[in-house]
Amino acid sequence: MGLILKLKRSLRVPLDMSPLTPDNLNGRPLDEIYRLELWEGNRKTLLGDIFKIEEVDGGDLTIEGDLSKARRIGYMMKSGRIKVEGDAGLYVGEAMRGGEITVEGDAGAWLGSRMSGGKITVEGDAGDFVGSSYRGSREGMKGGVIKIKGDAGDEVGCWMRGGLIWIDGGVGCFPGIHMVDGVIFIGGDCQGRAGAEMTGGKVIIQGYLPTVLPSFRTSEVRGKVKVDDTSIQGPFYVFEGDLNEGGSGKLFVNIGKNSHIAWCERLIGEVE
Amino acid sequence: MEVRDVVCTVCGCCCDDLIVEIEDNHIKSARNACTLSTSKLMDHRERLESPMIREGGILRDASLEEALDRAAQILSEARYPLLWGWSLTCNEAVSIGVELAEVLGGVIDNNTSICHGPGLIGVHDIGISSSTLGEVKNRADLIVYWGSNPVHAHPRHMARYTVMSRGRFRRSRRERTLIVVDVRRTDTARLADLFIQVKPNGDYELLSALRAAVKGEELEQEEVAGVPVAEIERMAELMIGCEFGALFYGVGLTMSRGKSRNIDAALSLVRDLNSRTKFTILPMRGHFNVTGANEVTTWLSGYPFGVDYSRGYPYYNPGDTTAIDILRRGECDAALVVASDPAAHFPAGITRRLMEIPIITLDPYRSATAEISEVVIPTAVLGVEAPGTIYRMDGVPLEAKRLVEPPEDVKTDVEILSSLLERVKILRG
Amino acid sequence: MELLIRNGTVFDPLNHVDGERMDIAVKDGKIVEDVSSRAEVIDASGMIVMPGGVDIHSHIAGSKVNTGRLMRPEDHYRDYEFRRPQRRAGVGHSIPSTYTTGYRYAEMGYTTVFEPATPPLKARHTHEELNEIPMIDKGCFTLLGNNWFIMDYLREGRIEECKGFVAWMLEATKGYAVKLVNPGGVEAWGWGRYIIGLDDPVPRFEITPREIVEGLCRINSMLRLPHPIHVHTNNMARVGNYETTIATMETVADQASGSPRNIHVTHVQFTGRKGSSWVNVRSGAEEISSYVNRRGHAELDIGQIIFGDTTTMTADGSFQYLLHILSGNKWANADVEVETGAGVVPYTYRRSNYVNAIQWGIGLELALLIEDPWRIHMTTDHPNGGPFTEYPRVIAWLMSRKARDKTLSKINKTARRRLILPGIDREYTLSEIAIVTRAATAKSLGLTDKGHLGVGADADIAIYAMDVEKVDPSKEYRLLRRAFRRTAYTIKEGEIVVKDGEIVKTVFGRTFWVKPWVKGDLMERVKEDVRERFEEYYTVRFGNYPIPDSYLRRPQVIRAGG
Repeated sequence: MGLILKLKRSLRVPLDMSPLTPDNLNGRPLDEIYRLELWEGNRKTLLGDIFKIEEVDGGDLTIEGDLSKARRIGYMMKSGRIKVEGDAGLYVGEAMRGGEITVEGDAGAWLGSRMSGGKITVEGDAGDFVGSSYRGSREGMKGGVIKIKGDAGDEVGCWMRGGLIWIDGGVGCFPGIHMVDGVIFIGGDCQGRAGAEMTGGKVIIQGYLPTVLPSFRTSEVRGKVKVDDTSIQGPFYVFEGDLNEGGSGKLFVNIGKNSHIAWCERLIGEVE
Repeated sequence: MEVRDVVCTVCGCCCDDLIVEIEDNHIKSARNACTLSTSKLMDHRERLESPMIREGGILRDASLEEALDRAAQILSEARYPLLWGWSLTCNEAVSIGVELAEVLGGVIDNNTSICHGPGLIGVHDIGISSSTLGEVKNRADLIVYWGSNPVHAHPRHMARYTVMSRGRFRRSRRERTLIVVDVRRTDTARLADLFIQVKPNGDYELLSALRAAVKGEELEQEEVAGVPVAEIERMAELMIGCEFGALFYGVGLTMSRGKSRNIDAALSLVRDLNSRTKFTILPMRGHFNVTGANEVTTWLSGYPFGVDYSRGYPYYNPGDTTAIDILRRGECDAALVVASDPAAHFPAGITRRLMEIPIITLDPYRSATAEISEVVIPTAVLGVEAPGTIYRMDGVPLEAKRLVEPPEDVKTDVEILSSLLERVKILRG
Repeated sequence: MELLIRNGTVFDPLNHVDGERMDIAVKDGKIVEDVSSRAEVIDASGMIVMPGGVDIHSHIAGSKVNTGRLMRPEDHYRDYEFRRPQRRAGVGHSIPSTYTTGYRYAEMGYTTVFEPATPPLKARHTHEELNEIPMIDKGCFTLLGNNWFIMDYLREGRIEECKGFVAWMLEATKGYAVKLVNPGGVEAWGWGRYIIGLDDPVPRFEITPREIVEGLCRINSMLRLPHPIHVHTNNMARVGNYETTIATMETVADQASGSPRNIHVTHVQFTGRKGSSWVNVRSGAEEISSYVNRRGHAELDIGQIIFGDTTTMTADGSFQYLLHILSGNKWANADVEVETGAGVVPYTYRRSNYVNAIQWGIGLELALLIEDPWRIHMTTDHPNGGPFTEYPRVIAWLMSRKARDKTLSKINKTARRRLILPGIDREYTLSEIAIVTRAATAKSLGLTDKGHLGVGADADIAIYAMDVEKVDPSKEYRLLRRAFRRTAYTIKEGEIVVKDGEIVKTVFGRTFWVKPWVKGDLMERVKEDVRERFEEYYTVRFGNYPIPDSYLRRPQVIRAGG
């Protein structure tokens, strides 16, 4: 059974959507779903008071409306599909283990935070901390795929341990900060400090990068790089680091867009 | 009447050696006080004398009872109230504030989130190798000020705690080396043995290069953030070669591009240095009890600021549960402001958001925030008219004294907040 | 307010009650002979009744505890407590917030807890936190083993003045006992250096840890303080450190001469190792136990490891730094001028890790090999070995060979082979558990109205829902654990505060502190002497240093000597 939830009114305060996952809703009768309680600010509200609920064929959960004040859509979900027709708020797909989430608008900060499986697609932009860990923890995204068609903010993949974050657009600063493993692909420009304090994994930048951190070592030039089964065309300057963390992560920087980094060529042993 | 050992309540130095002369309930003079301190002690700005309530669009005088009732009503009805300020009041008041947030199911946030929050966020990831100020006074032979200009912002810092202080093992300026890192040659930089001018917003790169140099890595680039590599290596050498180094950082580091990651890098640098020598790092906190606000909030809720109690338990995530972000997203529907003036200090767009919601302000003065509030309650000035516990920038607790009586009928933060809490508990059940 | 606890199976070792069916009468916060018919009756049939737990060493309040909380939001965010009508909200796991700390202790039937490491300059912070920990009576130990004034006095042989100074310090900080942590070593760490033994002189102070220990031990006796010097010995980071532990106890043996214990060595598991490298480290429990069994002047607490994630925090800054290097975990350090230091490092003890498995074994071996239960208290050095909420697990290990075997079967095999624990049959009785968790600790602290249920004692009582007639704790250790996790009732100062494991009322206990008597003019002389150097060393004024009595929410002074 699929569901369409349409926001009945605009949200004034944060709305905690964490109980609304396909796993949690599946098999429940409609009247029970109506009576599910959600935290709306500091009061509990009935789902039926905030959303108009419609049953449809298929198995998807579709949510319509401006949910930019929502939190935790798809929290810990294991299976099933969620589609958000609009903006989706903070913590979309937090601790997600499987299934699929599609956001047609923008997603707020902490998209896919602590994710271990599943797939998230955002048609618009995402905020800061895509695929990150929680404060103080080293357990960032471990698995799964996040795909963002627009831009993302700062600290993409903070403490990431695995999985793939693919961003068609640009990002802010510090993509891959403290990264342990996994792959971050950035189709557009990066505002700086890529791969800061990383110990492993790959950050690939197709657009402009103002500088490479001084704690990275120039490694080589590569014609292309593989991401899953896709071959990404470069050529790329490849840097290794973050040496300050004894790291062996790799930073791929598109040569064509970054002629100001050409100074590193003299440090390369062989050019492919 | 002379009162000695007075604790100053202006900046994070919390100097406690002030000698104040009082006559007829007025402070006549103060010795050992810097200009900032004297300004506060002899502040003759117009005071709020009566509680006020907004009626028909205008603030009118009201009784304390009326004001408290209205305030309690506004806060209790709110679905996501914000309790803001807290760093210019005492621990005892902050403690009540946290309970208020808990009872109301609101968010309690303090000035840290717009100032030194990045430093605390850095601590979550890295930890911090620190010490009290006396360790620096007694042992340090190398002092670094980064993005901080104590000559102006913390006037007695250098004389009491660092390069000009007299400790057991370091007795004079000659025994210390001073390094200043800043974007321009400040008055503090003029006193330095080594001044490093960093390109604005280039601190993270510079810290990264310093870390590499300290680890003995060769730097590939010739210049980082506008600083020639030779200078970076010189600074690294001085840092490794000292017997005890101390790095003080200010808003130049917390508020420039990178924010919490700038501090992350500074904390990591100091941690790395401890494998070569002894090194400590301290934040140059601006407000005299922002440290106390952090500490009290932490022991009661587990978290130092931006604590969201709306779902019945403490939840923390700066960027989500912090004032500026909540206001920016337009999610907050009422605010309590204690000893702070966000309307004057927040970015314009955020202040506009503030104007959309009912605000209760507790302040000694008619601040910009008071002007746009629904309820205003005058309070006594902490450390002058009201006593209380405060924590210095290094976490050392001190007891601020009451020196003079507050204006008639003006109560302390603790008294007002206690009354407010009582009413709110009844309304919220 | 009167209570009658009827027909419970009472364990009150201090009064030689060992599993007797008895009634306990409570009136106005005290245990009395009997009560009127108006008394509220608790039917404790089929339940165990004990005095409320007295925890002699648990890091619950103060600057480094809060640094731990600040450093570890990830410790709290999965373990939180909702606000409920009778209780405040909070967070938990290894460094709970203050309210949660009090509640969780009360739920386990503990009613008195001592914070063991208070830096004098920041003692106000400790008391502010203690004031906001509900449910329990409390106190704190004052850190003195690296204090500049003390080291100077002892080096100069000025024992009288040093005694006056210690007395003044306890009063100024509202402390309960004299605490030494890595004596001399934390001062060396002030320079980033290490002390390697009892006779290694402290840089620039030219005094040895041995001299500090002996001097403070002597002063402790001179002042007739209720608790002996409480010592975290040197060399905690060294692989084989049990010898230092024994040498530290031995160095004050001659001072004891017939009087009861004059040294308490704390969390001895951490300093009970043998060997020269982490690869071959072994348990030094046999050697230490053998010493303690022979010599009557020393008492210990175990500091038992619990497998899982926790946070280490001690005043031993150098140890904490080395743990950070070994583990790669984040690290906080907080040196305190003139006085001491601190360090915090999160840590996970793993069954599969050889060293952790040995450490786990050491604690239990010590508890089981030391014959006199009055001299080996049960702690986890919370949170260093593990959170205090795991005490029931330790109780189960002590009482049940089966429980031990179960855990043994899952630990690193090499460690299992090298420990003697698998071969130890001994199982603690409930009476012995009562001793190591309340009777002995109260006695050691000199708290004469606690740790027992005799007439006149404070009415701090724990009632555990386990029927000794029906349940053999040795076999059914899971039931034992469950029973000790949440009480059927906890009574504090004569009021029921926990019922069926739930907090029913928030109350606030007293803060105990010790005021030693010294001759009036000695105190004045010492203060004058200290004042001269005070402003040179410190960054606060002498007048602002001592804490007034009014700072404590409910102060309770214990006078010593005189």
